[in-house]
Amino acid sequence: MIGFTNVKKAYPDGTVAVHDLSFEVPTGSLTVLVGPSGCGKTTSLRMINRLIDPTSGSIRLDDVDTQSLDRVTLRRRIGYVIQNAGLFPHRTVVDNVAALPRLLGGSRRDTRTAALELLERVGLDEKFAKKYPWQLSGGQQQRVGVARALATDPPFLLMDEPFSAVDPIVRTQLQDEFLRLQADISKTIVMVTHDIDEALKLGDQVAVLREGGLLAQIAPPVELLTRPHDAFVADFVGEARGYRALGFLGLDHDGALHRETSVRLGDTAVTGAHASGWVVVTDDERHPIGWFDSHAGHRSVTLEALTGHGLFVPRTASLRIALNAALAHPGRRVGILDDEGRLVGSIAASELLEHPAADRSLR
Amino acid sequence: MTPAWIWENLPLIGELMLSHLWLTLTPTVLGLLVSLPFGWWAHRSRRGRPFIVGTAGLLYTIPSLALFIILPTILGTKILDPINIVIALTVYTVSLLVRVVSDGLGSVPVEAVQAAEAMGYRSWQRLLLVELPVAVPVIAAGLRVAVVSNVSIVTMAALLGIPQLGTLFTQGFQLRLYVPLITGILLCVVLAILLDLIIVKLNDLATPWRDRTVAA
Repeated sequence: MIGFTNVKKAYPDGTVAVHDLSFEVPTGSLTVLVGPSGCGKTTSLRMINRLIDPTSGSIRLDDVDTQSLDRVTLRRRIGYVIQNAGLFPHRTVVDNVAALPRLLGGSRRDTRTAALELLERVGLDEKFAKKYPWQLSGGQQQRVGVARALATDPPFLLMDEPFSAVDPIVRTQLQDEFLRLQADISKTIVMVTHDIDEALKLGDQVAVLREGGLLAQIAPPVELLTRPHDAFVADFVGEARGYRALGFLGLDHDGALHRETSVRLGDTAVTGAHASGWVVVTDDERHPIGWFDSHAGHRSVTLEALTGHGLFVPRTASLRIALNAALAHPGRRVGILDDEGRLVGSIAASELLEHPAADRSLR
Repeated sequence: MTPAWIWENLPLIGELMLSHLWLTLTPTVLGLLVSLPFGWWAHRSRRGRPFIVGTAGLLYTIPSLALFIILPTILGTKILDPINIVIALTVYTVSLLVRVVSDGLGSVPVEAVQAAEAMGYRSWQRLLLVELPVAVPVIAAGLRVAVVSNVSIVTMAALLGIPQLGTLFTQGFQLRLYVPLITGILLCVVLAILLDLIIVKLNDLATPWRDRTVAA
């Protein structure tokens, strides 16, 4: 647990970075601090490992006041990941990860072995272990940064804009991998970002700060989207918040689905199509190949006549993904697949919006 | 006035060369050691930096001959004591290297230093394990200038009668012989190039992590 109680940070020149901040990060969960620049989110993060000392108030780690600990002891209990990774340029990748365990007296061999395991865990190939940081891409460096922060297996993790310096595709990949890793290691994490999408995606709870370090709202992502506390939060969460909220809802059960009779490639007689005329084409195992428009006047079902990509989603997909696929379909429907990728049924865009879950959350 | 002079005086030339080497290297190493704490101090203190670096830089403007003559009075050494030369050259080395060490520490990526601090490195651990090793290329570049400059300034000690390659200049002048003069100049150049190459090599060995494709 990381707890803030009435934390304030004022500078001698009178600037108040953080006014009066109180919140709690439950053990094993991830809290994201998000807000416009100047909202004190980074200052708040850095007060946890006392890179900055609070002016008043207290910060506790599992009920130990951080002020009661020696800075170095405190910091060694807390992993730290920063933007651009901040790797040591003169150490190889594996030695970067092993640096702190080595400093704490571990043998060269043991710390390296552990470091190699960690690198594998964060998805970095062993062939990078002997390389120097400059030889790695930004995304790879960031992976090393995460591995280094976990090297001593600290219970707490602080992450300052960890995925901001990489391109959007790599960022998504790093976020997904990090979510999987966190599901596995369950660290107590505070992360800072200016990217609301990242906050909503990664956070178990999201704390929206406004200028001057005032807490506007702290809540789980879906609550932030559906029940913003005030105009500031609603504004910050963004114009697409209704649509985004669908990202946190699933299809739940197959009751709402239409059964689809499917046809094969080469079939000439198309039966069982919807009134819209669209029908699913599958292979012999009911794996979908595409959609076929029986009203378009094709004589037989051929590969060229199909509309395909992305118009099928797994039944575990969120309503947002399903709706997006349905909207991309000329017939405004999306095919739903089971865990083995076989067709289960389909649902129309309009039905997705009237889906009980969506209905509840958007009301 | 023949090259035979070189042959006849080979043992003397060898002796002068060795002494020249010693008089150059000792102050270079001492100067580096003294510059490290001052450079670190300049790097750490935003307000102190101009004062520290400025004062150090001013030392270089003291004429070497004057320093050679004044130092015995200050230190209580004999005028012929080579220690005067060593100390004078140490002063010049410090003058060159304080700024270099400060710049070198300043060249370390801020994120790396910050990461070390946040990971729980004590400040001396940060300095010895992260900042200084990463500052080596910049410090080495300054050291190359200092050592070459020292090879040259040492020759001034000939005016005080302290034997080193500069002795060949005074001898050549007194005997009206060009051969010792030219020999002395050439050996100084060779010595400077050799010492320079050694520092380049040591720097390469100490920094296998650098991107050679850029640094070369």
